[in-house]
Amino acid sequence: MTEPAEAPALLEIDRLTVRRHREALLDEVSLRVRRGTVHVLMGPNGAGKSTLIAAILAQLAFDGRIAMNWAETGAIGYVPQSFAVDPTLPVTVADFLALTRQRRPVCLGITRGAKAAIARLLARVGLSGLERRPLAVLSGGELRRVLLAHALDPEPELLILDEPTAGLDDAAVAILDEILLASKRSGKTTVLMVSHDLEQVRRVADWVTVLDRRVAVEGPVDILATAHVRELLPAARERRVARA
Amino acid sequence: MTAFYGWIGGLAQRGVLPSDFQYPFLVRGFLCVLVLAPILGGVSHLVVTRRMAFFSAALGQAAITGVALGLLLGEPLNAPYGGMFGFCLLSTLGMVYVKRHATLPPDTLIGVFHALTLGLGLCLLVALTRQFNVHQVESVLFGSLLTVTDGDLALLLAVGILVAVLLIREYNHLLLDSLSPPLASVAGAEPAYLEYFFALLLTLSIVVSLKIIGALLVEALVVVPAAAARNVARGTRSYLIGSVVVAFLAGAGGLGVSTRFLVPTGGAVVLAVSAIFFLTLAVRSLTRRNAV
Repeated sequence: MTEPAEAPALLEIDRLTVRRHREALLDEVSLRVRRGTVHVLMGPNGAGKSTLIAAILAQLAFDGRIAMNWAETGAIGYVPQSFAVDPTLPVTVADFLALTRQRRPVCLGITRGAKAAIARLLARVGLSGLERRPLAVLSGGELRRVLLAHALDPEPELLILDEPTAGLDDAAVAILDEILLASKRSGKTTVLMVSHDLEQVRRVADWVTVLDRRVAVEGPVDILATAHVRELLPAARERRVARA
Repeated sequence: MTAFYGWIGGLAQRGVLPSDFQYPFLVRGFLCVLVLAPILGGVSHLVVTRRMAFFSAALGQAAITGVALGLLLGEPLNAPYGGMFGFCLLSTLGMVYVKRHATLPPDTLIGVFHALTLGLGLCLLVALTRQFNVHQVESVLFGSLLTVTDGDLALLLAVGILVAVLLIREYNHLLLDSLSPPLASVAGAEPAYLEYFFALLLTLSIVVSLKIIGALLVEALVVVPAAAARNVARGTRSYLIGSVVVAFLAGAGGLGVSTRFLVPTGGAVVLAVSAIFFLTLAVRSLTRRNAV
């Protein structure tokens, strides 16, 4: 099997700089996300992790170069860090998942094919039977799993997850781990994930980049054990202290 | 159309249809309601989801200014569509452009446009009253079935079909963009395009509805049907159907009230739709109480 550092890059970022009001949120960031790997972005709050994701998704202006070397569909799956649902919005889980599944407007009904695909997707994220539940009444963890199901359809070539374990219980984290590991095994989906969850990163990651507006350090998952990296991750340190 | 009105009138005289349908202007009004309900119901449920109620109010205001401008430039009093559509289009493009490029909150920016068009509209209306009797302008402000022509009905139908076709094409992207612009963007939609696209559809729908509902009240029909439907809907399908049904009931009910009590059609329609809104609100409260 090809080692992560040797696999061809799906995503190439060179000298990426993002400024807001003259302040650099990201400063000359360069990195490679290798095909078929789980690449994790870590760093303290304000390190620019979500800004980097937004730049990759072309949602803000930047200097530098971002290139995608697609080999298959070029589909991107994305789970955002935040997703506010209007509490009175009458959109069900099935409506939401059908939005990208069928051409027919979902307000005119969900096609038989889409219904079957949605049932499979929900089973995959451990939420079978929730099709008719309005998005507004889901718990935070359920909503994140629905977002994950949305990101997995169609099968993405690049799956971008921004703090996917936030609000998830242990069982849901185990499901997410399984999905990430299955992606790795298939080699069809490359994962770029922002995470503060050190335990999960150790279980699933191939490569870790620690950001602090610049690339502070990067390497295989073993770098998490170094004192330098632990010093850079105050949030993770605080969580360890709290658990102790 | 005369033969059609005659046939309907005959049915009304024989008691098959309500006696009001003996009058062609009422049949025309009812046909307008039949066409308007799916347009405004369909558009309104996206207006509420995309939080564009204030935007719609500003557009209704711009329509008044557009009418005044069109009449001053020599448009006929019974069809001031050029000035109305032109000025509404200009206002729509201006509001969306500034909203996308400024850092101020959208409601603040729309408030600025609202004030601007209102000020301009008032000045133009005063100038207009020197040329026209204010009662002639009244029908544009409050809506009147008496001034609706077969041409207006044909235009309404053509625009209705166009709006429906375009909405069906982009509906899923529009809804996803309302929920999360980044997710819509990842799914291949272009948020800037969607924003201009929907604002233009809304402008078209408002402009063709004005002669029936009136410029001052049209905003109510692009907001309240969806607000009422939202009180009782459980999914997007019932949300759409509910919005259309509420728009139809309010239109037909308002039409009946307006002809019986000789009040402006727009006002009667808005009263009807507001009554339905409070009824659905009560239903929602009762259902929730029973569920607890």
